[in-house]
Amino acid sequence: MTTVLRHHWLVRVTHWVAVVAITIMVGSGLRIFNAYPEFARRGQTFCCYPFAGKPIPNWLTFGGWLGGARHWHFAMMWLLVVDGLVYLTFLYLHGEWRDLVPRQGDLRDSIAMVRFYLFIRKHHPHQGKHNALQKLAYFAMPWVGVLLVLTGLAIWKPVELGWLTGLFGGYVWARYWHFVAMSLLVILAVGHIFMVFTVDPYAIVSMITGRYNERFAPEARDARPFYHLLPQEEKSTDA
Amino acid sequence: MRRRDFLSTSALALLAGCDRVLSFAERENEYVERGLFRHTARDVASGRFVTPDAKYPSYFISNTVPMWDATKNGPWSLEVSGIVAKPLTLSLDQLTRLPSTTLRLNHYCVEGWNAIASWTGVRLSVLAGLVQPDPMAQYVDFQSFDDGYHESWDLASAMHPQTLVAYGMDGHWLGAPHGGPARVFSPVKLGYKNTKYLTKIVFMPQRNGGYWSDQGYEWYGGT
Repeated sequence: MTTVLRHHWLVRVTHWVAVVAITIMVGSGLRIFNAYPEFARRGQTFCCYPFAGKPIPNWLTFGGWLGGARHWHFAMMWLLVVDGLVYLTFLYLHGEWRDLVPRQGDLRDSIAMVRFYLFIRKHHPHQGKHNALQKLAYFAMPWVGVLLVLTGLAIWKPVELGWLTGLFGGYVWARYWHFVAMSLLVILAVGHIFMVFTVDPYAIVSMITGRYNERFAPEARDARPFYHLLPQEEKSTDA
Repeated sequence: MRRRDFLSTSALALLAGCDRVLSFAERENEYVERGLFRHTARDVASGRFVTPDAKYPSYFISNTVPMWDATKNGPWSLEVSGIVAKPLTLSLDQLTRLPSTTLRLNHYCVEGWNAIASWTGVRLSVLAGLVQPDPMAQYVDFQSFDDGYHESWDLASAMHPQTLVAYGMDGHWLGAPHGGPARVFSPVKLGYKNTKYLTKIVFMPQRNGGYWSDQGYEWYGGT
């Protein structure tokens, strides 16, 4: 079985920078949100947020107070945007976008993955660098990022970039979409972290050293969440 | 160095490092924000809604709603001064006789809420035209009788056509909760930059901070 170089150093660096930047952005964003934990314009009602008036638990927030959280948010946004652009530029120039952009057959493969995780299908479907569900998640992330940047600009500069704020339905809605996009990103990230720990913890090492032993690949182990975490006996029929 | 000292020193160094990074970012952001700023960019409060008075938050720093005490201080007046050719002191009557503007505008609070009111007042650019500031005057300080509250602005934001010295709100005289007799109102700055209970407008060659800016909120606070 072979050890391969799985992640270019640039991918590894941008990944961990994003971990730090996104954590701080989400934490400080939630602290900012807590200063007014609802969406309605003063004197109006808002249709679509059931938890109005309930602040986010403090331990999930970052920055200490509103002003501090704003400073962190407005500093980290540059790091995250630059990090994202470097990553996407690399992906484009290196052709690695081919590992992420959906193609025909991905829907079928996604269904096969779901069936495998639900024990309906016995063996792990054949995959490339990522399985079809991973591809979908990693492909979605940059788009959610773009939405976050645009809605963020719209609520940072509702007058200077009023056209952008208007595009999202005005200040109240732009703030809402910013929150929704953040929630999407958190859901994707939490799902990603859960799957890494319960299906492919070896991926953590490869995101640090870049190297990955294919004997440990989920496909080789028929790994589902919490199942077959250890490498399987080499099959004699392996060919 | 003992282990505990080493740890606390490192923690302090780290905090100081963060502080420097954050203030560097604030300076750079102000540069970007000033670059984005346009007098042609206007706030648009679509529809006809205005926030009912009771739902419009009213903040001040004194313990009670600041009220101008005419028996102690004489009639309220507004001083427009600093490095200007013709300093000016206006009574409320004189202020209301200047060319006025009524605009329905969004109020953007740093906390994340917004509200809409219709403001009547004099454009700050009109007052500037009367006092003729020196070209050196790149900043404007707005001072109040609310326990020393003030906030200084960059000149460009002060001269924005939607920046008013407002004495009317939603068709009535500006009440004490919202900053009467007169206040600064502009959608191009966050609420905390809009000095209420206004007494003095000073054109200055340099900025001099402000009540909330000095406590760590961004000095620029632009929208």
